Amino acid sequence: MEAKQYIGEGWKHAILIIGAIVVMLPFYMMVSMSLKSQQEIQSISGGLIGAQETQTFPVCVKTGYSEETCTMKPYQYNYWFAFEKAPIPRYLMNGVIVTLSIFIIQVLVALPCAYALAKLRFYGREFVFSMVLFCLLIPVHGIALPLYVMLAQAGLVDTYSALILPWTISVFGIFLMRQFFMTVPDELIDAARMDGMGEYAIVWKVMLPTAIPALLAFAIFSVVAHWNDYFWPRMVITGNRDLFTPPLGIREFRGGIDSDEFGPMMASIVTVTVPLIVAFIIAQKRFIEGITLTGMK
Amino acid sequence: MHNSKAHLWFIAPAIILMIIILIFPLFLAGGISFTDYNLGNKTFEWVGLENYDKMFNRKTYVKMIWATATYVIVVVPISVVLGLCAAMLLNSLRFGADIYKTIFFLPVMATLLAMAIAWEFTLHPTLGIVNSFLANGCGGAREFIFGFHWLPWVDSEQSWYAVACANNMDFPYWLKQKNTAIWTVCFIGIWQAFGFNMVLYLAGLTGIPRELYQAAEMDGAKSTWEQFKLVTWPMLGPTTLFVVTITTIRTFQVFDTIEILTKGGPSKTTYVMMYAIFEKAIQQNLTSIGAAITVVFIGFILILTFFQRYIIERRVHY
Repeated sequence: MEAKQYIGEGWKHAILIIGAIVVMLPFYMMVSMSLKSQQEIQSISGGLIGAQETQTFPVCVKTGYSEETCTMKPYQYNYWFAFEKAPIPRYLMNGVIVTLSIFIIQVLVALPCAYALAKLRFYGREFVFSMVLFCLLIPVHGIALPLYVMLAQAGLVDTYSALILPWTISVFGIFLMRQFFMTVPDELIDAARMDGMGEYAIVWKVMLPTAIPALLAFAIFSVVAHWNDYFWPRMVITGNRDLFTPPLGIREFRGGIDSDEFGPMMASIVTVTVPLIVAFIIAQKRFIEGITLTGMK
Repeated sequence: MHNSKAHLWFIAPAIILMIIILIFPLFLAGGISFTDYNLGNKTFEWVGLENYDKMFNRKTYVKMIWATATYVIVVVPISVVLGLCAAMLLNSLRFGADIYKTIFFLPVMATLLAMAIAWEFTLHPTLGIVNSFLANGCGGAREFIFGFHWLPWVDSEQSWYAVACANNMDFPYWLKQKNTAIWTVCFIGIWQAFGFNMVLYLAGLTGIPRELYQAAEMDGAKSTWEQFKLVTWPMLGPTTLFVVTITTIRTFQVFDTIEILTKGGPSKTTYVMMYAIFEKAIQQNLTSIGAAITVVFIGFILILTFFQRYIIERRVHY
């Protein structure tokens, strides 16, 4: 390698490192604030983790805990107090319930339909497929208002159903699975029929296993989208804390930005954000594949 | 061929759900937008185009269109170009590309709402590291760089940076100020979107055969820029079309950052459509006007998508 190329490579890294710093800024801020004491946050001192001096936290004492309980290191206090103040496990549970229900129903609906569209011949198949293609154009967030009106009329606002129902149909899932099933050889299905398998058995015992890679990518796509979704839960959940999904929880933590302590608030936000980020870092390739799925044509 | 009726059971749930959840709401929104219906009312009257008339003539909604247009026009091109630049830089690296890729993709993954709050603190006038970084740089290299003193036409006494330093560190209240709020929100939008575009472009770049570059070189395109113009850019045509469309649709739907950070303010400079729908229809219970905004919103998106399909069918470059 010539010297010139080294310099070129160096420049590229310099640019990318500056970019990476800008990208990481809010992550740094978030983690740092969740570890430091209120004084350190307000004076912007202490670097990433602060001095971590054991101290007694006045807000904690005011809340009614004994002075002994309230004496600890800032990072311990922030995370402990975050869990004391808000039912974080409940929010995370809700997130899991909602995202998993959505994904499972989406698959239950989409998989048989995709199979029929790809492998069965019947009257009106082209029409159904063009309906799917048309529905692909409709942005679900865009029709949130009429959906909300319908759910309100049905008395479903502030229920799990409201969080799940509008997402039960994934035309994108149907489209994706159909494209995938088109590549499955007909012989496989014929052989299954010869063995006396019914169409239902074929869908769940033959097609489903072949579709695992595509399903996995779709699962990541769906779970990430719904775990992070804020708009829809904000529309249909008005005040019932028991139904809060993680983003609604985050919004609640932020409530007292002017009066509250920032440490515990950021600690709760980190707690809610971290599971997905860790999963991403572990299974990066699959995540990038899944999330850019919409990039497939 | 077989005569089972299984297919009916297979497609029926999907069709019913498509009709109820996706198609019927389109008509419902259209219908409501011509009435004065508000959620909870027992009756309603047809009011014709009154809601649309309000939308295009009242100041609030004109500002809404402006805010949405500004956001889309700023975020889409910048995040697409940044995505392309990042992808090309990473593609030409000898080592370390994977680390940058992970970092740049993090914002796409992370819960946007949480990151919006993190940005709020990062940009906070008294607690944030951005303004403290700027304040500590008064009179130094940072002032020279970020005050644009290196541009020949910028007076180093009068640049925004120098003025802020002179006025007792009066740096912008990024999200609270009329002249900076929309740009700050745009910045967060770009920050969040460009990693996604980068990954799509990386995929597009792997699809370009190496021989094309060799051929271009033999034809005399020696410099990187010439090769880019001759090979890379045309070959990325389909990717670009797709990236632009998907980014535009996603950008149109911006809501989280607005709701948590600015609530459409200050003085409606960040009053984007999704937030307007939410505020009018849900918070103020003005369902019919919300429906009218919804119709216009969906109209925009449909036009956009049809436009994309049209271009694809007309010419896919090669």
